[in-house]
Amino acid sequence: MRDEIAPHVQDITRALGGKVSEQEIEKELSNYVNVYRVSLDTAKRSIVKKHGGNPAHLSLGIAKTIRELVPGENSVDLLVRIVSVNEKSIDSQNGARTILYGIFGDATATVPFTAWEPLPFEPARGDVVRVANAYTKEYRGQVQVNLGVRSVVTREAPDALPPAPEGSGGPSPSAARATPVKIVELREGSSNIAFTARVLGVEKREVDVEGGKKTVFSGVIADETAKSQFSAWKDFELHEGDVLRVEGAYVKSWRGIPQVSFDERALVKKLEDGALPPMDELGRSPRMWIEDLSERGGGVDVTVRGILIDLKEGSGLVYRCPECKRVLRKGVCRIHGEVTGTPDLRVKAVLDDGSGALTAVFGKDLTEGLLDKTVEECIAQAKEAMSQEVIRDELADLLVAQPVEARGNVTSDDYGLMMIVDQAKILKVDVREEARAMLEELEGPA
Amino acid sequence: MNREIAWRVFAGEYNDATTDVSDGGERSPSYLVTPLGAKINRLFVVGVLTDVENVATDEAPMWRARLQDPTGTYHVYAGQYQPEASAALAKLKPPAFVAVTGKSRLFTPDSGGTYTSIRPETVKVVDEGLRDYWILDACRSLKKRLEAVREAYKMDPVTKEELAALGIKPPMAEGILAAVEHYGKVDLSRYSAMLADAVRYLLPEFQPPKGEDAGPVEAPAKAADAEQEALEQTVLGIIGELDADGKGAAWDGMLARATKAGVDKDALEEIVNSLLDKGLIYEPILGRMKKI
Repeated sequence: MRDEIAPHVQDITRALGGKVSEQEIEKELSNYVNVYRVSLDTAKRSIVKKHGGNPAHLSLGIAKTIRELVPGENSVDLLVRIVSVNEKSIDSQNGARTILYGIFGDATATVPFTAWEPLPFEPARGDVVRVANAYTKEYRGQVQVNLGVRSVVTREAPDALPPAPEGSGGPSPSAARATPVKIVELREGSSNIAFTARVLGVEKREVDVEGGKKTVFSGVIADETAKSQFSAWKDFELHEGDVLRVEGAYVKSWRGIPQVSFDERALVKKLEDGALPPMDELGRSPRMWIEDLSERGGGVDVTVRGILIDLKEGSGLVYRCPECKRVLRKGVCRIHGEVTGTPDLRVKAVLDDGSGALTAVFGKDLTEGLLDKTVEECIAQAKEAMSQEVIRDELADLLVAQPVEARGNVTSDDYGLMMIVDQAKILKVDVREEARAMLEELEGPA
Repeated sequence: MNREIAWRVFAGEYNDATTDVSDGGERSPSYLVTPLGAKINRLFVVGVLTDVENVATDEAPMWRARLQDPTGTYHVYAGQYQPEASAALAKLKPPAFVAVTGKSRLFTPDSGGTYTSIRPETVKVVDEGLRDYWILDACRSLKKRLEAVREAYKMDPVTKEELAALGIKPPMAEGILAAVEHYGKVDLSRYSAMLADAVRYLLPEFQPPKGEDAGPVEAPAKAADAEQEALEQTVLGIIGELDADGKGAAWDGMLARATKAGVDKDALEEIVNSLLDKGLIYEPILGRMKKI
């Protein structure tokens, strides 16, 4: 205990400018901590205050490694290497100002940080720094380090920490604790994850970002569990079919579907081809339960089996605004007023698999296939019946209570899950065979 | 805001429900809770329509239909607020394979007892293939619940955390907790038997032989028929005696008398259903039986 307390005694003495003797402070501190059982941090602050000092002059928080950090630390000290650092300008009450954000790493882990005040030196990637009086918060389940007015950051000799393992061009956040996940486990907001996947397709695109154009390599990756869209913000020379090990990626979401991103901070390795099943196997659409899709917020190219239990409003023959493609109501577009609509066919149905429900949207081609007639034939039929509803009724007859297998992308918003159906087929199940299998499970093999 | 799931649940389990729960709040939906913890706001059932009639007036009809699955009978009621379902029911002629999607209903009259029914959203004639597919779906659902409840019963007390540790998702865990709170730990053998019977129902090798093969079993069947007939006469007698005020015999009274006569609840339900099917009695109001 004495050894642990000694640096703090010195810290208090220093904060008080040597006004009080170390022996006295040691006695007081041990009284606070051992008798009154207040936290070391609180004890130090009260002692400094009591003797007329400024607690902000205390520099020694509780020294911890990154792995030991928990959310809600008030005053913590770290010895870390800057893995990455970026500037960002934000609007605050006192006008625009610049903050720094990036990633700290030590031998145990990495952690994102934000510095709300300018640092006394120009920080660079690879610098080893000592941070005193930082505080931590939790953001989306992850600890984040914050450097505020009270925090003191000093640069240390580069050998104060063992060098970071060589990654692709410098220290990598994945050096320590990238959390390994399967693609099906991706959740919005996770960062510093590691995964192994095969590139099913990739293309180079230019996108507009803050501060100009950027090149992004995006496409679809897959492992045995699922597929995901990805964005690589650096040219890792990815090719269709490559098997990748990526460490230090993060997850964003697009319309509820989690998708993975990685940039120059990530460690990307190509593995031998046999590390994952071949393209055609991974290219298959995995069958999923709606409750699992609902938990994830969506999915890329998934297959769901269920029953179409209801046909929604707006199914059948519809007319769309030629400007914005919105469906017209009584010949009127919500935005462009009265227009001459373009005819279209679609189905919006509730697909329910007993574990959950989603809205399945079938476009023109699929709907024409289901009805076995073209849009033109539907228009003629509606004219003859003097009602567009005949098409809807016919679809209801065909589809309601029909078991189907549907494949497509599932997105989510405030109204729940929606699948844009790519392929659909009426489900034919060998009920007897499945019943026999179930009976065997119930009774054991005959 | 997710759409309510359409549960595939057997009539045998659905009709055992005697409680419903709501998440509080004025507009929050209510859920019927079965003894196995199915928390049902909406259900999708496929069965044989055995009976449909207007139990109100021609001006304001209320259609009552009975839908049978291998485990029991659902009661479906559609009135003026279910125009599409009412129109569909009005046109139906039993027997027919019918699929119904609807909302769960639990009715607790002052006279006692609880009655489950379905308020239909959609009613559609389907084929035998879909009925069989539905039975399979309902079997899977029942099996999953049985397994979860069996695990839950090993806990004391049953907690959401422990259920989650077994991989049981929160919605299902909530249903199980609500069920344990209301029903306690029920005898699961009734439901495992229900499951096994329903699975066998789908398999031809377990069907009673038909046609020529029926010869040898005819005699015992006849004996069973005679026994059944005697029981039906007993129950008819009870209904007649209890129907003192002309409003029909109340279920609770019938059950008490039948128990004395050695007929248990399940058997009584079966006999009453058979009498209803034969047109010897009818249900003037929910929960009361009257001789025709």
